[in-house]
Amino acid sequence: MGIEVNKITKKFGTYTALDQVDLEVCSGELVALLGPSGSGKTTLLRVISGLETPDAGSVHFAGEEATRRHVRERQVGFVFQHYALFRHMTVFDNIAFGLTVKPKGQRLDKGRIRERVNQLLHLIQLDNLADRYPAHLSGGQRQRVALARALATEPRVLLLDEPFGALDAKVRQELRHWLRKLHDEIHVTSVFVTHDQEEALEVADRVVIMNEGRIEQIGTPEEVYENPVNPFVFTFLGNANLFPCRKAGADDLVFPSVEAAPTIGYVRPGDIHIKRSADGTEDLEAQVLFVQGAGALPRIELRRLDNDQVVKADLPRETYLQLELKVGERVFMRPTHVKIFGQGTPEGT
Amino acid sequence: MHDPSRLSPAAKDALTEPAPVRWLLTGLALVFLALFLVVPLVSVFVQALDKGWDTYWTAITDPEALAAMRLTLLTAAISVPLNLVFGISASWAIAKFTFRGKNLLITLIDLPFSVSPVISGLIYVLLFGLQGWLGPWLAAHGLKIVFAVPGIVLATIFVTFPFVARELIPLMQAQGTEEEEAALVLGASGWQVFYRVTLPNVIWGVLYGVILCNARAMGEFGAVSVVSGHIRGLTNTMPLHVEILYNEYNFAAAFAVASLLAMLALFTLAAKTVLERKVRRDTKATADSFVRE
Repeated sequence: MGIEVNKITKKFGTYTALDQVDLEVCSGELVALLGPSGSGKTTLLRVISGLETPDAGSVHFAGEEATRRHVRERQVGFVFQHYALFRHMTVFDNIAFGLTVKPKGQRLDKGRIRERVNQLLHLIQLDNLADRYPAHLSGGQRQRVALARALATEPRVLLLDEPFGALDAKVRQELRHWLRKLHDEIHVTSVFVTHDQEEALEVADRVVIMNEGRIEQIGTPEEVYENPVNPFVFTFLGNANLFPCRKAGADDLVFPSVEAAPTIGYVRPGDIHIKRSADGTEDLEAQVLFVQGAGALPRIELRRLDNDQVVKADLPRETYLQLELKVGERVFMRPTHVKIFGQGTPEGT
Repeated sequence: MHDPSRLSPAAKDALTEPAPVRWLLTGLALVFLALFLVVPLVSVFVQALDKGWDTYWTAITDPEALAAMRLTLLTAAISVPLNLVFGISASWAIAKFTFRGKNLLITLIDLPFSVSPVISGLIYVLLFGLQGWLGPWLAAHGLKIVFAVPGIVLATIFVTFPFVARELIPLMQAQGTEEEEAALVLGASGWQVFYRVTLPNVIWGVLYGVILCNARAMGEFGAVSVVSGHIRGLTNTMPLHVEILYNEYNFAAAFAVASLLAMLALFTLAAKTVLERKVRRDTKATADSFVRE
């Protein structure tokens, strides 16, 4: 079922959490709301769920107006950051809750509920923990139970608020692969909130980048990463080096040392090339400040000799091993894929 | 890591005071405890049994004593359930919702703690007494509140008003509203949310509040004394009965009835200890669910 959000505004006192936000989520899609804390992403999710009432604007589910519809009639599944499992109920009862609170006429009989819960327990691979209480589960297990509980009532929309935010790095990775796989199997329209750009880019079909109550950009992970529309999106989606630069000819850029340069070029650390010798005029002389060789992407910090600017560079492992950089050494670097944001239209080189 | 018992002896010394200081402080606490708590409690029972079991038995089966017990039980039986309902609804409102005047409500709940019980009793006399605001109207309709059972119940309700709410508000606030929200999204009605999620989470806290509330309801002296009129066999509660016997120099009987109240206190203490442990476990489980991972 598709979701349509029109001109939603939400204020908490004088603080504007959402400022005329428009968003369309297609049926069966997995969308990530990505932004720093305070950007309004959780508020938007809660407005969609009905846990928060907007001050203005409307929410439509499958084309039907749902703005004033009560939470319990929206048929959404909601997964909370801190799981919000019912602590006095077993895993089984937690998952069954949504099925047992239905009015008598619509409620499945006990046997059918048991069947459905067992099915879900199997889906989240926790068949043998049905009688445990939430306090005796690990964080990852709790989050999977929370997901099963949300899915039990066969919601038309699944909403997840920082679902992996409270988990440690490894469990996080596993769970997000699992979520992606799960989504590919059941295809329920899903929106999840995260402040982790890696998570959003890896899991979502489309990413919605939010800042200060507004949407900055919507697009597939490739689109937003390759063509960020403004400096905020660029810097939020990854590390950035800022170079003062000036156009020289149609395609060429030069990087003067002074701030007098007319524009700022944004360059990812992975797009900094480091060489032992200069072979062009754009090559900048730099000194190696710091080398961190462990990990998949070795990280280097360089200092530009002409203006003392510190530049971060990520090198492919192979290049790193070839160069054998030492701290204090002088090298040459060249920024590539420089992004310049003018008024309105972005342009790249 | 901060548990000294798990450290080596040398490391233990670094974390504690020298032996004489420890002994002095512990000793002081024990002496204080004995002097102000244990000795009076023991003396109540010693005095009560001073003249033998027969006197004790006669004293507590005296018709007036029995009437006092009945009245005390009746008062508690009315005021505790009422304050239970009030306490749960007030803490539910305060902990789970935001509304105008919330701070005022919290302050009002604490009022009975900050007002002297005698004053609370006097307020009822001023309101419902013959010379009071509503006195003439009540008299005209043949209703008697002051110097009668309704006045005693009202005064007791007022004094024991905060116990359940005070116990539940911090517990419910610590638990937050996420579980309730989860239940709502899953389709539960307001009543289902309360009955199946909120209440089970605070059930030990509720019991704890009820025990304290009950102890106070049965033991209340000041407020009840003002509104009761001390009519023997009619408006005398147990604490009032003890006072009357004592003033008549009937010490053995006074202490015999007092010993019943002391036993109530001991029972309350035992129940409180057990429940406290359960409440703490609930609060800890709340904290854990946020801390773990």
